[in-house]
Amino acid sequence: MTTGLLTTSVGSFPKSPYLLQARNRAAQGKMDQKELHELELKATKEWIQFQEELGIDILVDGEQYRGDMVTYFAEEMEGFGISGLVRSYGNRYYRKPVATGPVARKSAITVDMYKYSQGLTSRPVKGMLTGPYTMVDWSFNEYYPTREAFVMAMAEVVHQEAADLEKAGAKYIQIDEPAVSTRPDEMELAARAMAVVTKGLSAFTITHICYGDFASVFDKLIAIPVDQFDLEMANSGYDLLDLLKGKNFTKTLAMGVVDVHNHAIESLEEVKASIRRGLEALPAERLYIDPDCGLKTRTVEEAKDKMRVIAQAVKEVKAELRIE
Amino acid sequence: MITTIVNNYPKIPSLSGGPNIRRSMAQLDEGRITLDDLHQVQDEATKDAISEQVKAGVELVTDGQIRWDDGQTYIASKLNGFSISGLIRYFDSNTYYRQPVVDGKISWREPILVKDYLFARAASERPVKVALTGPYTLAALSEDTYYHDKRALVNALAAVLNQEAKALAEAGAEFIQFDEPSILKAPADFPIVKEAMSVLTAGVNAKLALYTYFGEAGELAQQLFSLPFQVFGLDFVMGPNNYAALKSFPGDKDLAMGIVDARNTKLETVDEIVAAVKKAKEHVSLDRLYLNPSCGLEFLPRRNAYDKLVRLTEGAKRALEVLV
Ligand SMILES: [Zn+2]
Repeated sequence: MTTGLLTTSVGSFPKSPYLLQARNRAAQGKMDQKELHELELKATKEWIQFQEELGIDILVDGEQYRGDMVTYFAEEMEGFGISGLVRSYGNRYYRKPVATGPVARKSAITVDMYKYSQGLTSRPVKGMLTGPYTMVDWSFNEYYPTREAFVMAMAEVVHQEAADLEKAGAKYIQIDEPAVSTRPDEMELAARAMAVVTKGLSAFTITHICYGDFASVFDKLIAIPVDQFDLEMANSGYDLLDLLKGKNFTKTLAMGVVDVHNHAIESLEEVKASIRRGLEALPAERLYIDPDCGLKTRTVEEAKDKMRVIAQAVKEVKAELRIE
Repeated sequence: MITTIVNNYPKIPSLSGGPNIRRSMAQLDEGRITLDDLHQVQDEATKDAISEQVKAGVELVTDGQIRWDDGQTYIASKLNGFSISGLIRYFDSNTYYRQPVVDGKISWREPILVKDYLFARAASERPVKVALTGPYTLAALSEDTYYHDKRALVNALAAVLNQEAKALAEAGAEFIQFDEPSILKAPADFPIVKEAMSVLTAGVNAKLALYTYFGEAGELAQQLFSLPFQVFGLDFVMGPNNYAALKSFPGDKDLAMGIVDARNTKLETVDEIVAAVKKAKEHVSLDRLYLNPSCGLEFLPRRNAYDKLVRLTEGAKRALEVLV
């Protein structure tokens, strides 16, 4: 009997209305940070319990205490300020970190939350980091002479954080690089930076990459030194699987099977068909199943339903194919 | 030497505490104000954006494209033959636009920018230029489900934008600029570009500019300068090798230099701006130069955009002092 088809998540889950409200109140100074933090812990616990009950194999803490994935880390580091508002589209604005000096950690950033969530479950919880290339690409740079210097300095910092997570017991460490697919000519730099991040780690390393035209950069992409690629597929019609078939791809793949940009919940049959397609490209031991991306932009119920359909589809496919 | 901006200017916040477009758009969404109310706020915000450019010392201003959601949809949604689809990443930036979809025969319905131009001219004490996305880039950033032929699509767009340019010129616009960043990405398409540009510019009685940004002209440069425009815009920030292209710059054309980085908050020094002008002066006479940021200013927070313009005009002034 073969084993495999482990289930996981990309990282974020939506915040419940009570937490959103609390964050607003805290931002306006109407709630102290300690009180907010208690609610973040409560929300984290709820998501851990939800995943456990669903039988997900590798858990995430749901990032209930994070706003933006780049700003969250920049705010906890030396060398970064925060910019004024920049428009991303429509009426949506965000603030970007600004490197104004050498970037460095003040202390471990994610370890306390990792320990807290791992303490709630016997299943493994992923350590979740934002990769050096994305940190740089989504920041302004007023300090480093070149992008390369900035990326490599950032890689050192992310490595330290990854090493601390490993020391704290993390068996899985995910380093998100959503920006990596936007500039083919810098893929090599991103890979070099990732080599610094993952150097000497014994934990299973994962990188999540989304929103891109992967096809043109696929060879360079799969050379990034990690154990697993976590890629969005539902949103791109699973074209990547065909690319994989032709390559000498020896790593593991976490395959997104539900679209996070869409309110509609995929049907059980649809998701099962996607999983079977994945199994045509990779054996079950090397194929993991998850959503395309973080689910934070969905409502709590939508996110839960999307996770439920994944869990059920995997269960049924495993039963059909006698996978454990 | 004339200082100008490329096209857009950040919509919020007003540095003088004026109109708040972001709040008004949210209020419109909630049904608390009408579309007319929003248009009034947009008018005020346009005046505000113009007066900030003037205050910064910019000599040739735009209306800041305050009413535009993005460079593609503002044009495409007012042409026949287009519908507007989902969000898609704009080049290698962390900003998005809604992708126009060509689903029918493209034709010109009514003036798109004439009213905006007349409003800006009445609101500005300085000359106003009109900037709009050119036919090749508009085609490249759209999805074509109708023509299935790039050349036919680009020519169709050139024809309707020619009508628009004529309407603008008749309304008194003296300077009309077409933004064509996409032509740098596909040099092999130059024959298509060349054919379209003669369609685009035929019989338009205004000073016409062709702007490129996000890269270098490279081998295209000489062919580019042979197109029927008076002004050619090059990005010397993302395309530092564009200085080499100036060797072949024709003596009877004008050069628009993108020399302050509109995608990073780090302020250039006056000396850096003077040095850039000095390098260009080896091949182009000063009275044939426009100086501007490297691309649209909406990648920056408003305060930083304003500071960049102040520095640009300081640099231009100093360049005139030391180089004439
Ligand atoms: Zn993602």
